[in-house]
Amino acid sequence: MIAAILLLVAMANPSTRPHYGSTARILLQHKINSLDPLLESDYPGDRDKLTQLVFETLTEIDAQGHLRPALASSWQQEAGQRIWQFQLRLASFQDGTVVTSATVAASLRSASLDWKINVLNRQAFTIESPVPSPHLPELLSLPKFAIVKRLPDATLIGTGPYKVTQWQPGEHALFAANDDYWGGRPYPDAIEVQMAASLREHLLERNLGRDHAAQLGIDQLRTLEQTTQNVAVSRPAELLVILFLPDRGNRKAVDPRIREAIADAINRSAISNTLLQKKATSATALLPQWLTGYEFLFADKMNPEQAHKLRTAVGTVAPVTLAYDFSDPVSKMVAERIAVDAHEAGIVVQPFGDTHVNTKSGRKSSTADAVLLKLPLRSLDPSAALAGIADDLDLSPDLSSAILSAGRPDDLFVAERKTLEDSRVIPVAHVSQALWLSSAVHNWQQLANGDWNLDQVWVEGK
Amino acid sequence: MADLVFAGKKLGWFFNYQLAKLLNYQIACRCNSLARGTQRCSKGVFGARANACYTSPFPLMLKAAAPRYAILLAALLLTVQCLAQQEAASPWQAPADDLVQQVLSRAGSPGAINLTFANLSSLSSADQSAIKQVIMTGFRNAGVRLVKADFALAEVEITFSEDWQNYVWVAEIKQGPGSQVVVKKVPHPQKATLARAPLMAIKRSLIWQQDTSILDFYSDGQNLLILEPSQLSIYGNDSGKWRGKQTLAISHERPWARDPRGRLELNGFQLSVFLPGTLCTGTTTPPSLQCRASDDPWQIDPPSSLAAFFSPTRNFFTGVLAGRNAGESVPPFFSATAMQNGNSRQAVFAGTDGRARVFLNDVTTAAIVVNDWGSNLTAVHSSCGTGWQILATAPGDLNRADSLQAFEAEDHQEMAVSSTLDFSGPIIALWPGENPQTAHAVVQSLITGKFEAWSMMVLCN
Repeated sequence: MIAAILLLVAMANPSTRPHYGSTARILLQHKINSLDPLLESDYPGDRDKLTQLVFETLTEIDAQGHLRPALASSWQQEAGQRIWQFQLRLASFQDGTVVTSATVAASLRSASLDWKINVLNRQAFTIESPVPSPHLPELLSLPKFAIVKRLPDATLIGTGPYKVTQWQPGEHALFAANDDYWGGRPYPDAIEVQMAASLREHLLERNLGRDHAAQLGIDQLRTLEQTTQNVAVSRPAELLVILFLPDRGNRKAVDPRIREAIADAINRSAISNTLLQKKATSATALLPQWLTGYEFLFADKMNPEQAHKLRTAVGTVAPVTLAYDFSDPVSKMVAERIAVDAHEAGIVVQPFGDTHVNTKSGRKSSTADAVLLKLPLRSLDPSAALAGIADDLDLSPDLSSAILSAGRPDDLFVAERKTLEDSRVIPVAHVSQALWLSSAVHNWQQLANGDWNLDQVWVEGK
Repeated sequence: MADLVFAGKKLGWFFNYQLAKLLNYQIACRCNSLARGTQRCSKGVFGARANACYTSPFPLMLKAAAPRYAILLAALLLTVQCLAQQEAASPWQAPADDLVQQVLSRAGSPGAINLTFANLSSLSSADQSAIKQVIMTGFRNAGVRLVKADFALAEVEITFSEDWQNYVWVAEIKQGPGSQVVVKKVPHPQKATLARAPLMAIKRSLIWQQDTSILDFYSDGQNLLILEPSQLSIYGNDSGKWRGKQTLAISHERPWARDPRGRLELNGFQLSVFLPGTLCTGTTTPPSLQCRASDDPWQIDPPSSLAAFFSPTRNFFTGVLAGRNAGESVPPFFSATAMQNGNSRQAVFAGTDGRARVFLNDVTTAAIVVNDWGSNLTAVHSSCGTGWQILATAPGDLNRADSLQAFEAEDHQEMAVSSTLDFSGPIIALWPGENPQTAHAVVQSLITGKFEAWSMMVLCN
């Protein structure tokens, strides 16, 4: 029945140049509680998909991975790539006030305490970083550096193509087109987002013609792929990674040899190919091979014998508790598989579902020895992407500085290798993201990393 | 060194390179100068003996050779020259040289290395062989001996890898206990595309490309005008290259619509720029442009006097016509064209509802409705068929590559009279060109992200 109804949805007029009007309706898998780019989110990838509707960054990375101007119209470096000067374009916040260097500086200061920001005039300012940052313009494309005007009553105002008109945290949001957007009013009159929605339930319970796009879990993909439905699957981009937590109170960090043993024991190939149905690739580094071309240098060193040796050398080993996001079935499957692999090396890994494992504050209060995280690939620029992961993993300042100051791909490789060398961080898999699209939606661009570019999106109907 | 010249045309490195691949030749080393008569080559062309061999100076060779071998020698010379030229023009030479330099710089220029290769990329085996040879030659030219591991001062493993946009060549240098890595990104070389055999042929020429949006353009060979949403850029022809002469700002009161449209019209030195809710007028000599808010109709196709009103805040014509059809209206449309053939006039409108309507002589009732065209169309005059062809884009979203095809009305149908001409991205503008024989298309390449200005005409087969 579902297939029959879906077939009806698939029959639509040939598309043409974009049409204005209508409301685009999107189903998100997870609950998003705040749009503030600076607040931690349990699902930062999903949150960023919404924040980009309202807030903009100074620069952006396009679908081809090239750096492009956004709120900044131009930039240039000074003083050995430590100081960068930016020129703003003429744009307005959604409350009608003009975007000035002062408001941009205030926004950036709250995003990075390390930067010294100097306002030169109404439209120009400089950012001075403590270390040379050859890729600072790329870093500024990260959602964290979105330009936000914060009003005293905690209202957030952006410059983006849509304004928030309804916000029910974790449930529902409505964004209306910003008629005065500097880049031109978007085509849809509004975008409506339903959160924590299951596509299957929607297919069964709702009017199918209503929804235009729905996020899919990898576990839901097989059923839809057997139909004629329009399913977009990104490159394997999200990173499934084990992060061992440091000493906290009476909880001691896991012995480095046990960490290494677990890294050696994991059968990444089985996880990617069998559990994740080939919608993932084995991760031996933080950034995927398709993005850098050098992940192969981090060989998949699955070596159960070596794992066993390391474990034996340690002597008595307490069970290692591994927390995963309780609401994510994929994380649960992978955590359980890691436990099986570790068991074969003689290590007891106890996986358990937990809340807020994806946030730094949540991890601080966690009782687990390690957490299995699913981190978004936040950029199609390798430097910015690695900086985003470093931020998510809360890496040491030394490692973060090494990443920020990496000018060449070789330097980035060295910084990445340094991050992985003590096995505190163990990459497991790069996972694709999937999306169902109605045939009534046009120009929806799912980027290689699974992000959405909705610049040209329009939907059929009234 | 010049590219291979064939039938008076430069065919470029690609032809040479493909020729070499077809002949299964492996070119190893640089040909410094045929005139000086020194030719160093590798096994393959001249035999399978050594990695490097030297021919004798050519004057001596020619003196010594019997006359009956003259033709053979001449042919050989031509082949050598072609192959030497292809090597020099190989797209791999520069990145290979750079990789070699970076490796030597990291490794401290060791006198002897053990060099190995691995491949993780989509490079063909012929390309891999060619690159390996260029790299090996690079090391040898730098005075580095390539030896077995036992005799090497450093081991260098070069892996041909790939990311989603480029080839990535990775060199791992092992010296003693330490290792270093050099990562070199190498863009994919552009490949020539073969034109299909058409009924009529749409001939296209790339006039210009740039990172930022193009709405329309004009080129008379001496001047190139590029209409962008915020400016009009004027370029002059400087020995075959366009050089920027002047940029004229376009002022407007409100932000443009998301899908900005614009039309550039030149009449001698007089300029008219039609934009949503804005009209700019000026001159090319001296360059000047004044813009004002305006709801004047756009001149869509001046020779046929087709004019219509454009929505000031959207991306389509309202359907209300002006000029010769003043007072009449059609459903809202994205693009339109009109053709006069003797006493018969044909007007075609690509409606916002996805239907193209063809009207004959008046615009009251559509004679033909076409459901499978895209939203951009225009007409060109040619010496083929009825003399006028409609060029129409294919239906499709902006995230897909587009194509263009020529059509003529016949028996109440629009019949395709050419094969499709594929572009690397969506056609975002299609306007009449400088004369009735040409049309202008703006394409946003999905490969490079650049905006490309193409000029097109229809040729008879």
